[in-house]
Amino acid sequence: MAITRIITPAVTDANVTLAKLSATGTKSSSTFLRGDNTFAGAGITEADQWRLTANLAGNNFITSNLERSDTYGAGYIGTGMSQSSGVFTFPSTGIWKVEFNPNYRLNGDTRVIEAKIYTTPDNSTYNVAAFANTFIQQTESNETAASTYLQINFDVTNTSNDKVKFYSEYTNQSTLMKGSTSGNWTTMTFTRLGDT
Amino acid sequence: MNRDYLQDALQTFNGGNWYGWKTHDDNGNKIPNDQRMCYECIEVIKDGATIPSEADVNAKIQELKDAEADAIAKKASGKQKLKDLGLDDDEIKALTGA
Repeated sequence: MAITRIITPAVTDANVTLAKLSATGTKSSSTFLRGDNTFAGAGITEADQWRLTANLAGNNFITSNLERSDTYGAGYIGTGMSQSSGVFTFPSTGIWKVEFNPNYRLNGDTRVIEAKIYTTPDNSTYNVAAFANTFIQQTESNETAASTYLQINFDVTNTSNDKVKFYSEYTNQSTLMKGSTSGNWTTMTFTRLGDT
Repeated sequence: MNRDYLQDALQTFNGGNWYGWKTHDDNGNKIPNDQRMCYECIEVIKDGATIPSEADVNAKIQELKDAEADAIAKKASGKQKLKDLGLDDDEIKALTGA
């Protein structure tokens, strides 16, 4: 005999408990159930931003005067980054977007301003993962501004070994990388995009 | 857009890159971010560096401002001298870019 209708099973939503699901992965308030029956992380779990708090002149790694951006509504998600002498440590493994946005000032000319993001896979040997260039040609006989932007996607597989630091160099050593405690001039932004 | 004369002046002492800002006062109270970038909150971060007197810092700030005003004045007087020689504004701009 042909089926002419389907009767909805008499199982209420409340009776389909999480314990009855066979999905793999971590079941928690921060995961959701995907179509392939897997619990996965929901949205961005880590986002953090740091800034330089005082001007830095000449060819230098940023090694001091760093703080988490914390004014005028700034916030972060997750554990956040930590740093020691300008070497940043990630709180968890994953693919991380690392952004460096330095701002510069000079009362004169500098033919080349070169900003770099350095990464290490062993907490020792650093490589230049990204470069960006700009320059300053003095305008109106006064201090003149420039900025640049660098970004990498960094595969952090070991939080003890995979680290980053930031550098800038100039043809004119009087060039200043701008820093402030009350607003963002030179920033480093870290966002965890997903699992490694 | 204001130039940060205090930081520009501080960079001229101790070979540069020698200072930061205190985040807490002597009683352990947090100093608001927008009140840290001042003479009273200077913190030495470089071995061997010393904090210059406030008078010396103020003198350096004035020196920077004077140099800036002097550069602007020279630009204006130079332009006027070119005009006195008979050049018009377009010719001066073609020569000097300003």
